[in-house]
Amino acid sequence: MLDTFVKKFTDKEIKFVKIGKKYFLENKKLEENRLNVKEKFFGLLLGQDREGKFTPSFGLLDLLSKMSNEKIFVKDIGEMDFLYGKHLRVRHVLRIEGEKKIGFLKLVQNEHDENIGYGKYVGEEGKIQVLKHRMDRGIFLKRDKEKVMH
Amino acid sequence: MFKARYKEMGGELKVVKLNRCIRVNTKKITANELKARLEKKRVVLEKVPFLKNSFYVKSSKFNLVSCPEYLLGLFYIQEAASQVPVEIMKPKGLVLDACAAPGGKTSQLSEYCDVVAVENKGERLSVLENNLERLGVDNCIAYLMDFRAVSKKFNYILLDAPCSGNFMLENNWLRKNNLRRVEERSELQKELIGHAISLLNKDGVLVYSTCSLEPEEDEFVIQYALDHFDVKLEKIECIGDDGLTNIFGKKLDKNMRFCKRFWPHKTNTIGFFIARLRKC
Repeated sequence: MLDTFVKKFTDKEIKFVKIGKKYFLENKKLEENRLNVKEKFFGLLLGQDREGKFTPSFGLLDLLSKMSNEKIFVKDIGEMDFLYGKHLRVRHVLRIEGEKKIGFLKLVQNEHDENIGYGKYVGEEGKIQVLKHRMDRGIFLKRDKEKVMH
Repeated sequence: MFKARYKEMGGELKVVKLNRCIRVNTKKITANELKARLEKKRVVLEKVPFLKNSFYVKSSKFNLVSCPEYLLGLFYIQEAASQVPVEIMKPKGLVLDACAAPGGKTSQLSEYCDVVAVENKGERLSVLENNLERLGVDNCIAYLMDFRAVSKKFNYILLDAPCSGNFMLENNWLRKNNLRRVEERSELQKELIGHAISLLNKDGVLVYSTCSLEPEEDEFVIQYALDHFDVKLEKIECIGDDGLTNIFGKKLDKNMRFCKRFWPHKTNTIGFFIARLRKC
């Protein structure tokens, strides 16, 4: 499932190890440090299978943003709106790189070329919306809150 | 009761107002770059004089955890005293973080070398994993297990031991705590430090820390280690008072002064204790 997701951005291969439902970047050096019990976390998390679907990690999105040019760069205002879970609009966008095919996935980058999430490209001309929000780094806030509440 | 004890130790039960402190994630950004980015957003920062890559947040118009720089993992919100154990350890190669969650020190260690992190509570481990992902840590292996079940040897171990805490951390700390609880913690800490030393290679370094100001959880645990194992104390160069060498009628090792204790009213941090031991 990880492979299918990666192929939407690049033809390059990402080697991984799978532990339970989680995928981690292959790391030979780190393997030498293993204890003799099953680990829960191993180096760079790439994503996990959830209810039959693959959910990428932000580590994977970061990695892809260095390997792929399927990116949308956003202004400050776009960054904040996207991190609050909103779709991207024309006024949010600085520039678009890669193929402009409707339905394709795009990595969302801030002005510093740092990945803040990804979404589905829905077109530009005559449209207000450019990208349908899929996932953003604001999720860390929600996760933090959940941990505090429980 | 605690007030009188602290007076005998040369300290004071005085709650002070702390500045929020952030540690720069140097895996992603330099301290100067982060400072410039946050100052552009009118966050007023001041360098923490006794730490390498940390700032006090003097003022901010918004909650820092909601800003993109936090969500991007460019910094970690971490009390200043709790950053000292890693800074005085300076590990190389591989380090064991024995009681790892929530991951502040784990991620700080990962800036120096590879980390094996151990946590025995599932819910706390998921907080650790969340922090590792946000901070982009790629050189840490984390295990859900009791540290006492680890058998691999290490050159560096950080034991930030579970402790009774201190009055700066909770409003009702004084009501919740008593000497029996402190003694119970002390017994667990002695067991943990004994196991940590057994995992150290010769010349290996163990940094022991707690956020307790009680000698039973600090100097007495170190004295137990000195009495029962082949280890020596090493001098720590940082802020704070020297460790106690004579307290509650107990004369302790003279090198206990090499340890550091942080009294909130003196260091403007939470209460804290650190010792650095080397296996002979």
